[in-house]
Amino acid sequence: MSSLPHSQPRISFASLTPNNLGTVRKLNSVLFPIKYSEKFYQDILLPETEDFCKLVYYNDIPVGTICCRLETTDGITKLYLMTMGVLAPYRSRGLGSQSLKQVITAAATHLAPKIDSIYLHVQISNGAAKTFYERHGFKELAVHENYYKKLVPHDAWILERKIEGVEEQA
Amino acid sequence: MAPSGIPPKRALPSKESTLFKELLNLYESRQLKKGLKTADQILKKFPEHGETVCMKGLILTHMGRREEGIDLVKKGVRLDLTSHIVWHVFGLIQKGEKNYEEALKSYTQALKFDKENMNILRDAAHLQTQLRLFDGLVDTRHTLLKLRPNLRQNWIGLAVAYHLNGSIDEAKKVLEHYESTLKNIPDYDVEHSEVLLYHIRLLEDLGLYQEAVSLLDVNAKSRAIIDRTAIMEYRARLLTKLGEHDEAEQTWHALIEQNPDSYEYFRGYFSNRSIDLDNITKETRLKAVESLREFSSQLPRAAAPRRLALDVAVGDEFKALAEPYLFSGLDKGIPSLFADIKALYRDDEKQHAIASIVEALRERLSSQPQSNSSESEPPTTYLWTLYFLAQHYSHISDHQRALQLLDLALEHTPTLPELLMYKARVLKRLGDPFGAARSMDEARVLDLQDRFLNTKCAKYRLRAGLEEEAQEVLGLFTKKDASSPAADLEDMQSLLFLTEDADAQKRNGAYGLALKKYHAVQKVFNEVEDDQYDFHGYSLRRFTLNIYLNLIPWEDHLRSHPAYIHTAIAAAQIYIELHDDPSLATKASSSSHLSEAEKKAKKKAKKAAQKSQEEAKKAATQAASTNEDKGLEPTAPKDDDPTGTKLLEHAGALDRAWKLLSPLVTLAEDNIDAQLVIYDVAVRRSKYLQAAKALKQAKSLDADHPELHLRLVDFRQRVSSLPQIPPEPIGSVVKGAIAELIPDEVSLETYNSQYVQRHSTSGKAVLASGKVLQKLNTPIAEVESALFGALNPEVVLDIPTAIDVLELLKNVKSERAEEFRNACDVKFVSSTVFKSPKELAEMRLKAFATAAGEEEQTKPEEAS
Repeated sequence: MSSLPHSQPRISFASLTPNNLGTVRKLNSVLFPIKYSEKFYQDILLPETEDFCKLVYYNDIPVGTICCRLETTDGITKLYLMTMGVLAPYRSRGLGSQSLKQVITAAATHLAPKIDSIYLHVQISNGAAKTFYERHGFKELAVHENYYKKLVPHDAWILERKIEGVEEQA
Repeated sequence: MAPSGIPPKRALPSKESTLFKELLNLYESRQLKKGLKTADQILKKFPEHGETVCMKGLILTHMGRREEGIDLVKKGVRLDLTSHIVWHVFGLIQKGEKNYEEALKSYTQALKFDKENMNILRDAAHLQTQLRLFDGLVDTRHTLLKLRPNLRQNWIGLAVAYHLNGSIDEAKKVLEHYESTLKNIPDYDVEHSEVLLYHIRLLEDLGLYQEAVSLLDVNAKSRAIIDRTAIMEYRARLLTKLGEHDEAEQTWHALIEQNPDSYEYFRGYFSNRSIDLDNITKETRLKAVESLREFSSQLPRAAAPRRLALDVAVGDEFKALAEPYLFSGLDKGIPSLFADIKALYRDDEKQHAIASIVEALRERLSSQPQSNSSESEPPTTYLWTLYFLAQHYSHISDHQRALQLLDLALEHTPTLPELLMYKARVLKRLGDPFGAARSMDEARVLDLQDRFLNTKCAKYRLRAGLEEEAQEVLGLFTKKDASSPAADLEDMQSLLFLTEDADAQKRNGAYGLALKKYHAVQKVFNEVEDDQYDFHGYSLRRFTLNIYLNLIPWEDHLRSHPAYIHTAIAAAQIYIELHDDPSLATKASSSSHLSEAEKKAKKKAKKAAQKSQEEAKKAATQAASTNEDKGLEPTAPKDDDPTGTKLLEHAGALDRAWKLLSPLVTLAEDNIDAQLVIYDVAVRRSKYLQAAKALKQAKSLDADHPELHLRLVDFRQRVSSLPQIPPEPIGSVVKGAIAELIPDEVSLETYNSQYVQRHSTSGKAVLASGKVLQKLNTPIAEVESALFGALNPEVVLDIPTAIDVLELLKNVKSERAEEFRNACDVKFVSSTVFKSPKELAEMRLKAFATAAGEEEQTKPEEAS
């Protein structure tokens, strides 16, 4: 049997709405060892995070998510990457990279408020994830000890990437 | 001055006469308030003036004061029986009530006193069409044409009338005459174009193909016919019929190039080459496949020639064609691929070929390493392959294998709703309506804005008997200001909802509510039938003749729609049960025995009634002050029987059933279930000829049908126990029919045992013979042991039949019913329908995707 003549895969993104939240819940339940609170699901629907919370589609099937929230302290706004994940059969196909790029680009063009940086936690056992983020310009900032209460190991790296904002036209 | 010849009581002095004319004008322009004032002005002096009384009544009816208005109209008619106006008004009112027959009588009466009134003639023609009184219609159209020969639509009206009356030749003559009188037709005249196409269609119907082609060609060239596609379609068809095969082939070819996915064009193309795609023979197969291959390579984006080739090809050729077809569908992720090719499964060889192609693909893809190399298939192809195979195995009744594949697919990608939907379907087939409903609900919550998923979920909840929970999800998509989701769906004529809801109520034993919904379906069909009325005028006015002449026969076959047939049968079955056991009705209607559902329905109806009352009050206060035209159709009356209690009444139950069934005598001739229930009702109404006819028809459809076997015994038993045979000539006809249906010399006991011996491996036959034994007053132990025969390993017993057997055991108060239930519960491993009532109550909770009380973490812990 010869190889099938297959079409070019389509990768696309969709904003989160109350209507597709069930798909996000389903993905989170199989992707992450943690059950997220209702607060989490309320926050990702906030209008200001629309550009930073997406469903990832592969050939029109939802197979991954990326969810961030905005955090402002002392007048500086950072983007915190809460979750990013792609179903196992769809990994190593550039979906994660594309999702991350999409969010970084959205952050760079975000003006009110201007976003200073994007950061996240990675469990210290997950070297592959760390490498992945470093490839996208993230740097290790610190180790957050006992970050995970229920997971072992308990510690997590904090990774950060500065956002170079697109200069406003003079 | 009143003209002479007017009866004195109608004549008015000139002031009032002018007022009356004004009144007519005000009515025409629907200035109702002013009209009412004017009428009152006349009536002050001449309270007995019939025409004015009628007009006042008509205006009041338009203003929503219906009862008062109609009383006045009737009074007005009595006051002046020879006025065409009063009869016209009366006819309008009756037409508004959809009482077409009475309306036509009034119009006929009006025409007696004003033979040449165009409005009345036109309305009468529409009524005659609605009532299919085509002889009268031809006369009326003739009169109209004579009165106004310069109106184009009067000519067309007459031609159409002849056509409907079956005189196509006359219709043709009228058209020829009409066309010869035409002068100065503007360019691009759509109406004229339609008339010409109609003319050509008539010629085709008359078999005058040469004449038809000539007329087509002349008018296509002169651009008098402007529908280019229609020209080509007519031309291709006519040339084929004429035997001009080369020219026809070119035209079909051109049509296919225009729309390469029209199966009709391909059928036409091949029929021109004497190949009937639906009946391929050894001789035609090769040619057809070859030519379809050619089309496929010429038209790379067209699906139709590729799919048709699968119908036609066999053996290795089929395999060679099926493989790329299936691969391409799986690669593109076409959800309906299995539904598309399922028809090929009638051929065992093709079924096996398809299964082995897709199985081989699955094996290859499952062993493929998960990598992103560009040669490897996208993971979605594997997913769609699993989905396809699950459907394949469920279709060939290997439901467990289907479930395994679906679980594998869900592990791979849990977010594809199709997988959960199909899992629901497999669980349903395995007899687990609760698990099925849950799976459908899981699919629904993946995408709440998908109405299809929503409707499916509601349907599965109804199938699981969860009536209220079904309404909850339906309510997410219905109008928020409707009194209930069900009321809105009834307004929207949702046959799916009405049918499923009624069936659910019937299964739950709430017969009143079930009948309400079954009658609601009937109402929908009445409305569709009424809706055609407007087209009798519209289609002639706008010259949309060809489609109109397709509409009329379609309307005549309206009630052959599956939803009508199903609901008519189901409702009649309830009526038969009520007739045979009147205590069912009293049980159901005494309020102490009201089921939960009925109580709720009562409450809801009360609320709705209150709402409508308030609205009516509001409307009444407004009516006096506004000009708003409420039309002549009566508003829906208040529902004074929300639980359907009146429908349960013994008296008239069979008549109500017959009213539903009578259209099926001819429209469902080939439906054995319909014929059997027609028998059931006819025989109980002592219509023995009708009963015999239905049985004969059923026997011609399937002589060994188990339910027919039961009826044959029933018929002989009933007729032989009649105190006296029906009067001649019916008596001997019935006797002859029985002799023909069931051999005279054998006893019914022997007849029954012979039947079950002939069909010893059929569960349905076992059930039917059990019913017969009970009918013949056999000791209960014998009935029981016969019915338990259904559990023998060599007997093919499906779940619905097993449920019926259990029901029968319960009905005859068998002590072994519980034993049978337990045995079925063991036999049908994955089913839940044979669980005990207590277990079932717990099962209900299984039917929902989101279970309450899930633990929640307060602080989110993020994982990346």
